[in-house]
Amino acid sequence: MNKTISTKSLQVGYGNKVVIDNVNIQGLKGQLICLLGPNGAGKSTILRTLTGLLKPVNGTVYIGNDNINTIKKNDLAKKMAVVLTEQLSLNMMTVFEVASMGRYPYTNFRGKLTDHDVHIIDNALASVHASHLRNRYFFNLSDGEKQKIMIARALVQAPELLVLDEPTSHLDVKHKVEVINILRNLCLEKGITVILSLHDIDIAIKGCQQILLLQNEKIVAQGTPEEIIKCGTIQDLYEIKGANYSELLGSIEFNNSTCAPEVFIFAGNGSGVGICRAVARAGYGIYCGILHKNDVDFHIGQALGCHIIAEESFENISEQKYNLALEKIKEVPFLIDTGFHVGSMNQLNIKLLEEAAKINKTIFSLSPYSDFQKRYGSFSNKIVPFKNIEAVIQKMTEMRNDA
Amino acid sequence: MSMLTMASKCTNSENKKKIMRIMLILTLVFTTVFIFLLSVSVGSVKIGISDVVRVFLGLEVENDTYRSIILNIRLPRALSTILGGACLAISGLLLQIFFSNPIVEPYVLGISSGSTLFVGLVVLGGFTFGMKSTTPMFLFTGAFIGAMLVMLVVISATKKVRNITTLLIIGIMTGFICNAATSILTAFADKEQVHGFAMWSMGSFSGFSWAQTKFLYAIGLPLIIASFFLSKPLNALLFGDRYATTMGLSIKRFRIIVVFIASVLTAVITAFAGPISFIGLAVPHITRIMFKSTDNSVLIPGVVVGGALMTSMCDLIARMVLSPTELPLSAITSLIGAPIVLFLLLRKDAAM
Repeated sequence: MNKTISTKSLQVGYGNKVVIDNVNIQGLKGQLICLLGPNGAGKSTILRTLTGLLKPVNGTVYIGNDNINTIKKNDLAKKMAVVLTEQLSLNMMTVFEVASMGRYPYTNFRGKLTDHDVHIIDNALASVHASHLRNRYFFNLSDGEKQKIMIARALVQAPELLVLDEPTSHLDVKHKVEVINILRNLCLEKGITVILSLHDIDIAIKGCQQILLLQNEKIVAQGTPEEIIKCGTIQDLYEIKGANYSELLGSIEFNNSTCAPEVFIFAGNGSGVGICRAVARAGYGIYCGILHKNDVDFHIGQALGCHIIAEESFENISEQKYNLALEKIKEVPFLIDTGFHVGSMNQLNIKLLEEAAKINKTIFSLSPYSDFQKRYGSFSNKIVPFKNIEAVIQKMTEMRNDA
Repeated sequence: MSMLTMASKCTNSENKKKIMRIMLILTLVFTTVFIFLLSVSVGSVKIGISDVVRVFLGLEVENDTYRSIILNIRLPRALSTILGGACLAISGLLLQIFFSNPIVEPYVLGISSGSTLFVGLVVLGGFTFGMKSTTPMFLFTGAFIGAMLVMLVVISATKKVRNITTLLIIGIMTGFICNAATSILTAFADKEQVHGFAMWSMGSFSGFSWAQTKFLYAIGLPLIIASFFLSKPLNALLFGDRYATTMGLSIKRFRIIVVFIASVLTAVITAFAGPISFIGLAVPHITRIMFKSTDNSVLIPGVVVGGALMTSMCDLIARMVLSPTELPLSAITSLIGAPIVLFLLLRKDAAM
């Protein structure tokens, strides 16, 4: 297939100083390629070189089959459009006027718009869902709307290739998703090749076909998200401290594994997600169990830095894990039952609660009080019912202060 | 159906806008013509407008001295005021877009002062070196060299700083240096020469000869017409250098053209009329506000007519307020222009 953009032994940088060596980008028609990495990794430097705004230190950028340096600026603008990070005020210009500047390489010396030009501009505004903004003043728009108009302006150039430098920074999540969806549609429906840099990890992983990971001015990995994003990749890439990133769930969790465990949380089937987060946020170290390794509570708990007693997926809880859990229960002053669903494979968790009750541990339960008889049977009178986790945490804090 | 009505509404409002703009331009043109006739008519000898028109049409007038007053003294002055104002205003507009800075103009950036210094060298120094008289071409060349030198200083400074206020201070300081050098020059120069030079350096269109007027039109008019062809790339430059490049503008060549035109226009005015402040600053802003647009294809004609009108008006005021004493033109333009700079500086989102 024909490459829209490609590079050959490309070294990018400023003057004679190479910032990133061996940049190899092959953009096929309709592909969405994302540069991902921390601030200062060199994303903008690469994008500037690809757009011809910055001369390569060595090597060549090809647009189609032509060396980018040999293409006339006006012809290049018909093939490639760019959205930069610069925030423009553009006072007293309407949205239509801003978008119409994209016809620059096509119009005559006075910049006169033909009916055909107007048609293209209106189509571009429609494809970024901004037709209703057509006659508004640009500087009155929100950041998200402005960004959509800048993308429309780029589309008006009718390019085969669109390069965007951090198009989703400063945007709220609604507009982030909208912008990425617009770009994906351009790839799928119009066959435009899109190269962009992003800060939103999960949007990049979930929305882009090709990812380049950049770190400390080096390309550390390149390929499809499925190939290159492994457990711990993002953690290492951004050198995140004090929090864990779960690639499986695409979420970041603040880590409190340094706190000594004071609570044992009985969870399962997702019942522990919110509760573990709340307890960890309150500064308590956590034991959590007994969880199966295919349970979402297991992955969240791990990212939160909980000490988890876990059983293999789809196995009944073994005696060994049971004894281990019992040992941990004896270490901590507080026990919380999240009201998890009890099935044939995790019945022993209820048995653990019963053992704990026998040795007079304080057990808070978030299970509905009406279910107590059925759930706990003979020892239900030893369980303290609570409506929500905030009340439990308040109670724990009071008890801790008394002691 | 609703789409159709919406579309027709759009084109209607677009057409309305266009008609409004044309009406506005025409109003400005007629006002300028009126001020032009008025400035030919008033003065130490009062001549009725009907007589002025008769002279222009080549008809007989009662008093024959009227004809020579009008044709030899007042007409060249009024004509050069009109074109001079247009030149200064266009120069200001170009510089504002070039520096993407709303409060620059030739005077504020010290370019006029650079011209003044070199005109001083020619007028005062030339006499010292034994030259009897100076030709328009010689004056203009001096003014142009001065303008270019200051321009280069300011441009190289902007490569280091991008801040609006800092750029302003650099311009003002360059202006001070040029003024200091100019005053050192005057200390050594012949007394009579100094008086003439001092009058000139306060800015005035008085005493414009036909030779000077023709020279002014020969240089200024083609460049003003040339600037009409720049509206498209100037519009692209509103998006900043990088965006303009990615839209297909060859930025380096264009920057050279803009600097050249702005410097020549400033130089040709300064050479004959002296440094005139704030026209280049105030007129583009007033035009933007009047036309509610930053589209340069609209602004350039507006700025040309607006510059001509404002300068003619200021010149008329300078002549009439304390008549028969004539006030320096820059005094009037500063009184109007400086508050506009202050207003724009205080308003952080200064419009471009």
